[in-house]
Amino acid sequence: MAKRSGCEAIHPGYGFLSENADFAQAVVDAGLVFVGPPASVQRALGEKTAARRLAQSVDVPVALGTEPLRDLAAAHEAAGKIGYPVLLKPAGGGGGKGMRTVRREEDLDAAWQGATGEATTAFGQAALYLEQAIMSARHVEMQILADGHGSVVWLGERDCSVQRRHQKLIEETPGPWVDERLREQLGEAAVRIAKKAGYRNAGTVEFLVDHGGRFYFLEVNTRLQVEHPVTEMVTGLDLVALQLAIAAGEPLPFAQADIVRRGAAVECRITAEDPAAGFLPASGVIALVREPAGPGIRVDSALFTGMTVATEYDPLLAKVIAHGRDRVEAIARMRRALEEMRIAGIPTSLPFHRSTLFHQLFITGRYDTTFVAQWEHRTLDELADGAVSAAALAAVLASRALSEHRAVTPVDQPWARSAREDALR
Amino acid sequence: MAADVRETVRGRQWSIRLDGESHEVTLVTHEPMRLDVDGHDVLASVIDERAMRASRGAAASRSGRVELRAPMPGLLKAVHVKEGDIVERDAPIVTLEAMKMENELLAPIRGRVAKLNHTAGAKLEGGVVVAVLIAE
Repeated sequence: MAKRSGCEAIHPGYGFLSENADFAQAVVDAGLVFVGPPASVQRALGEKTAARRLAQSVDVPVALGTEPLRDLAAAHEAAGKIGYPVLLKPAGGGGGKGMRTVRREEDLDAAWQGATGEATTAFGQAALYLEQAIMSARHVEMQILADGHGSVVWLGERDCSVQRRHQKLIEETPGPWVDERLREQLGEAAVRIAKKAGYRNAGTVEFLVDHGGRFYFLEVNTRLQVEHPVTEMVTGLDLVALQLAIAAGEPLPFAQADIVRRGAAVECRITAEDPAAGFLPASGVIALVREPAGPGIRVDSALFTGMTVATEYDPLLAKVIAHGRDRVEAIARMRRALEEMRIAGIPTSLPFHRSTLFHQLFITGRYDTTFVAQWEHRTLDELADGAVSAAALAAVLASRALSEHRAVTPVDQPWARSAREDALR
Repeated sequence: MAADVRETVRGRQWSIRLDGESHEVTLVTHEPMRLDVDGHDVLASVIDERAMRASRGAAASRSGRVELRAPMPGLLKAVHVKEGDIVERDAPIVTLEAMKMENELLAPIRGRVAKLNHTAGAKLEGGVVVAVLIAE
């Protein structure tokens, strides 16, 4: 299709095709340019245990872990050596899909079954490996850019610790507890890994940072991340444009010392999930959308009224990004934006995001990867009396409209209408 | 109380003026009724007299029978119990895969599994009854 339409290059977005080495190779074999790292680099980094070995070879610390496991018996033996809790991870892919935390030995069998199933569905291969689970750590990742001329730079970190089941819900930069020294250490570690791998294009190196400030390499995402806009907001760089320039063979137009980060940015991923029901995926038709705007607000979305949301795909509906002079301003702008946003027709994560932006742990930046699990849904926060009355009034109107609608629908067939019209004559 | 109500989006959104203050209410979902009131999330339910009578009737004939329904469409990956099993509250009954994520549906009460309507591998519509529990 690309060839028929006369295009020269393919940008794979950030979905499944973006980390599929066979796809990247097929694009190149067809005489086109793949916007991303070469297939060989994707293969080397896409196999997670190989990526861990590569990181260790350039003195980047990794959590205790194994090679791909032969079978469940090998998993039991390895987990016993590492010590529970452990993480069971698919060797074939990232994005948190198919990953399981195993707290006790008696849970390992069930986790093995579930993770094998999800890994096969998501990545087409069942290989699993084990890693020591570093509990209540922060998920911090470093954005890098590498051109085809040997230049590799880091742009800054993103804290993505507000996640549930390893799916991110809020990301921000700078990381609220990342100081200049840790930032440089993470940046330099990421650059060492990228250079060793022969990396090209935009990429993200993920780390866990524990409460003592020690960091451990997790994996490299060989693509643009969903959360890349926060880095764009503070650096003023257009990462997609740079990806295209790199793919076209151009050198990076700046050096490490030229990169300036201004202020802070936060991203909320609004998803089709119901936070009141344990983030169950929701499906249905979008009945109404209003997206926020204003100073420092960016919305990346494809939502429209009448859109059908199915459960077969990723639940992401829209990304709301707020930028401010500092973290306080970015949060204030995000609060206002979320208050302004409306999505009706299906339950969304909006109530979670709205309340989190007022949550003490979020405001102080003291959250870690256990935040969402500890979050509790509150239905009615401090509403003014007038708003409560308005809500009650609207609730009655809405239920009346619904029951009238129900009463009318069954008889509103063409023949019934025609019969009624006849009777009216 | 005087209120000025304007329906801004049919059946979905109302602009309501009460005591000189203006509020915007959006109906997010019908069942359960979720409202967005000036950017705040509210869970509401409307009980009219007929519904109250009906629910009183239901309470009188309550047999402790609870239906576990699929909250969304998906693939039934696994069934963790058999008919006749006694399960504790919050015990996993089935695993439902949707959006490439596996979700466990838990027993809402302690009880006996009276009926299992589907087997692993079934594709389920949202809202269908997966299991019936009788309180023990």
